[in-house]
Amino acid sequence: QQIQEDLNKQLFDNLVSFLRRSHSGFQEKTTEWTCQMKSREIPTAALVLGNFFKIYFVMHICLKLTQRSKKNILLISSNYCEQYQFQKCIKNLMQKLMGQLMNCYIDVDSLEDEDYAQVSQNRIRCSMSSLINWYESVTKKTDSETPRKKRTSSSRHCQSPPVVVIFKDMESFTTKVLQDFIVISSQHIREFPLVLIFGIATSPMIIHSLLPHSVSSLLCIELFQSLSSKEHLSTIIDKLLLTARFPFKLGEKVLQVLINIFLYHDFSVQNFIKGFQLCIVEHFYSQPLSILCCQLVDAKKRVNSLSHNQCENIRRLPSFRRYVESQASEKQIALLTTDSYLKEIIQKLLEDLHVYHENYILVLRCLHVFTSSLPKYPLGKQIRELHCACLENQVWETEEYESSLQLARMLNKSDLVTMLQQCVEIFVSSSGKEFDKTVEKLKEFLTQFQKLEDAFQERDVSVSSQKELQKKTDLYHLQKTLLELKESRRSKKLTKFEMLRFEVVDCIDSLVRNYLVPADRKTLHEIVYFNTASVLREHLNAAPRIALHTALNNPYWYLKNQALKSDGGSISNKAPDICIVYKLHLECGRLINLVDWLEAFSTVVMAVEGPNADAASSDQVDDVIHARFIRAVSELELLGFIKPSKQKTDHVARLTWGGC
Amino acid sequence: TLAKKIKENKMSNLVEEYFEAHSSSKVLTSDRTLQKLRKRRLDQQTLHDLLKKAPLAYATEIKELNQQHESLFSKWMLQLHLGFNIVLYGLGSKRDLLEKFRTSVLQDSVHLVVNGYFPSITVRSILNSITEEVLDHTGTFRSPLDQLEFIIKRFKEDSSLELYVLIHNLDSQMLRGERSQQILAQLSSLPSIYLIASIDHINAPLMWDQAKLSLYNWLWYETTTFSPYVEETSYENSLLVQQSGSLALSSLTHVLRSLTLNARGIFRLLAQYQLENKDNTSYPGLSFQDFYQQCREAFLVNSDLTLRAQLTEFRDHKLIRTKRGADGVEYLLIPVDDSTLTDFLEKEDEDV
Repeated sequence: QQIQEDLNKQLFDNLVSFLRRSHSGFQEKTTEWTCQMKSREIPTAALVLGNFFKIYFVMHICLKLTQRSKKNILLISSNYCEQYQFQKCIKNLMQKLMGQLMNCYIDVDSLEDEDYAQVSQNRIRCSMSSLINWYESVTKKTDSETPRKKRTSSSRHCQSPPVVVIFKDMESFTTKVLQDFIVISSQHIREFPLVLIFGIATSPMIIHSLLPHSVSSLLCIELFQSLSSKEHLSTIIDKLLLTARFPFKLGEKVLQVLINIFLYHDFSVQNFIKGFQLCIVEHFYSQPLSILCCQLVDAKKRVNSLSHNQCENIRRLPSFRRYVESQASEKQIALLTTDSYLKEIIQKLLEDLHVYHENYILVLRCLHVFTSSLPKYPLGKQIRELHCACLENQVWETEEYESSLQLARMLNKSDLVTMLQQCVEIFVSSSGKEFDKTVEKLKEFLTQFQKLEDAFQERDVSVSSQKELQKKTDLYHLQKTLLELKESRRSKKLTKFEMLRFEVVDCIDSLVRNYLVPADRKTLHEIVYFNTASVLREHLNAAPRIALHTALNNPYWYLKNQALKSDGGSISNKAPDICIVYKLHLECGRLINLVDWLEAFSTVVMAVEGPNADAASSDQVDDVIHARFIRAVSELELLGFIKPSKQKTDHVARLTWGGC
Repeated sequence: TLAKKIKENKMSNLVEEYFEAHSSSKVLTSDRTLQKLRKRRLDQQTLHDLLKKAPLAYATEIKELNQQHESLFSKWMLQLHLGFNIVLYGLGSKRDLLEKFRTSVLQDSVHLVVNGYFPSITVRSILNSITEEVLDHTGTFRSPLDQLEFIIKRFKEDSSLELYVLIHNLDSQMLRGERSQQILAQLSSLPSIYLIASIDHINAPLMWDQAKLSLYNWLWYETTTFSPYVEETSYENSLLVQQSGSLALSSLTHVLRSLTLNARGIFRLLAQYQLENKDNTSYPGLSFQDFYQQCREAFLVNSDLTLRAQLTEFRDHKLIRTKRGADGVEYLLIPVDDSTLTDFLEKEDEDV
């Protein structure tokens, strides 16, 4: 758990820093802009944010921080619960505004306690005029008091700090309140410089649909766009998954599930991170060998202190068994019996795994450089798709890979050169020595290309002009014709350039084959890869209705009793009461007659007790059945399948449809 | 593509089924009513007794299921501490399971149990119990939002405070409102408040939007228990159970026991008259003048005024209802089923 918390923390630090970075440029723009603003209209910044709220909470805090440091701007951020009051009436809005403003100001300047009293006093009766009075007094005070303000006042340019009001959720406001607020504050803009910032989740059109022309003409709106959440996702994946820094990795299926939830459900980076967190928790909780999932140095230490049981656990891993089977027989015996030897081997294997990861990421990026420029993107546009494909299977066996290689063989020279350069950069940036050879090889390719270019220039252009021309145009359309050309030219000797091109592609191909082996072919991959996607799907993207349906339709799923085993549609009379009632209700239309229902139920139930129920106790039995029926029906009502209906006496209405 | 086609088919089937179910305004059901079944309605108590007699089916299997769920307790604790909140769904009452969780794991820590199925629970009462019992704050707040703000502030200041909140039936009538969910979500997003809730309604997830979901930070757990909803349905007013809102036989006798002999006689007279006319569908009720006449003849009242006073008392107990007819005359009616009334009269006869 210790490790886990460390990991969590590491992860979060990384994320926060990333978010801060990605927003900082954006913020700077806004802050700059707010400083400049001075006009009769109320300056307004409309931030178009996606539909993920939590992230821009973080952003607001960042915004606040940067502005605090500048200290000539007041800031009011409305948080959620206040929003409700905001929505209700203008009075509340003003009141809240005022309270926050004063509080905020006191926070910033840390004035004396007497002002607190003033605040509470003012909370009772707030109006625009009192606000202005207060504002003037404060500015006066700050003018005389703090040197920082003096500086600004001496410049006489922005002597009064503008007051910034942030409306986080533009869509959820009542238009009336917002309009009134804007109209009121626009009348006092001289004495009370105000800057509004709207957080918009949909599109800037909303401003015009929410505010009539007379009101929106009072605003001076500038639009700011934030990054789309898809870009966020790709950066996060890039930073979190495709680095060797974090020892914990996601399996293919899990990653697929997470991405699917993101793309098809909510577009929320927040949820993606949550899912990732859940994976970490789940991995460290369920997998006993996850203690080895840490940095290589630590892992080696931990291997030495493994107990016998843990060694047994390792022996039981399927990937390890595969490894053992591939060894010589005396080695097998040693592996399976002596712990110390096993530990040695494990250390070596872990190291292998580590090296594999480093190489994997580099080669993956390389391959991405190649495939992302191909027409139609046979292997996907984003690096995450490529990553998934590589994890899923041996990528070189797939059709998509074949076709992308085909396309790559037809690349023109300039593209090829830039790509090679990028690849070299990637390799150089890594510290590993593994790739010295490949880097050299690539560099050699580059120099050869240089030479080739010179050679081309010397040569007569007319010969290759047609070919060159064709190459400059769109590759995709040319694929067919080029193939034909190749057929015809097969007899001819290949040009030097083409030879070289083939060589390069083959080189890349061999790189892929060597280093992009999917993770589950590796020994001991269980330690660092989390691959139980079902857990994730169950806990993040649950389907309560399906659970209810299976429980009611097929109780055998949960209650392992032989008597309950039955095939689909028929009503088993041994099922729990509620299941029988549910099945009977499925057979009905929109309205259900209670009496008929009761009778059907009692017939089904009586069939079980039928033979042994004698005449004397039949009344008693009847009452009990009635009671059971009542219980089952009220349970169905609680679950929301039916509701009492006033259309007809003693009828209930069905709220679901379909069924038998 | 075959799978896709099948899926499409399924989709269109579902849609068709929906329209089929809702197309015809005419519904074909039989006209039988419970009234004709000649069976007395059960009240809550007898229902409870009867159900006790009926053995619970598949007790061993249910127990097994519960044990499976109980093995997750330690995992839940871990996940709660990591900032997730847990929501349980599935068929069957999850009350006992949560109780077990409470008694076995939360014994030593501060925890709050909210019975969502209780019909008069409000968010305010939850917040009150937090401020008063947990934070030891005596004072009133203007609105729940202020209260929430106070709680959040306190919890943020004092990191040693920890609170487990267990909510049975988060989706119950009283808590499913937008406002209360918003407040609860805000509460649950506090890192030192750990929330475990259970939901039952099939449409329960509809009450949360993106913002609330991200505040709640749910982890879903399927806990199908198959155990009956005893507590939960005891408040659910079912059609088949005598409702406390309308008049039940027990309450009828209860009220009348406390009246004078004459008053009981008056009510009896009215009841008898109503029963005599029960087959007459256009029976408007007994007019006040006729009733006065009859009561006088039976020596039950001696003046117009006393009868009026008596009737007012009945009306206060909702034993009778007055209705003005087309001719402006006041008619008196007992708003109780005929069967209950017959039962009542029979019982009265036994007593006398």
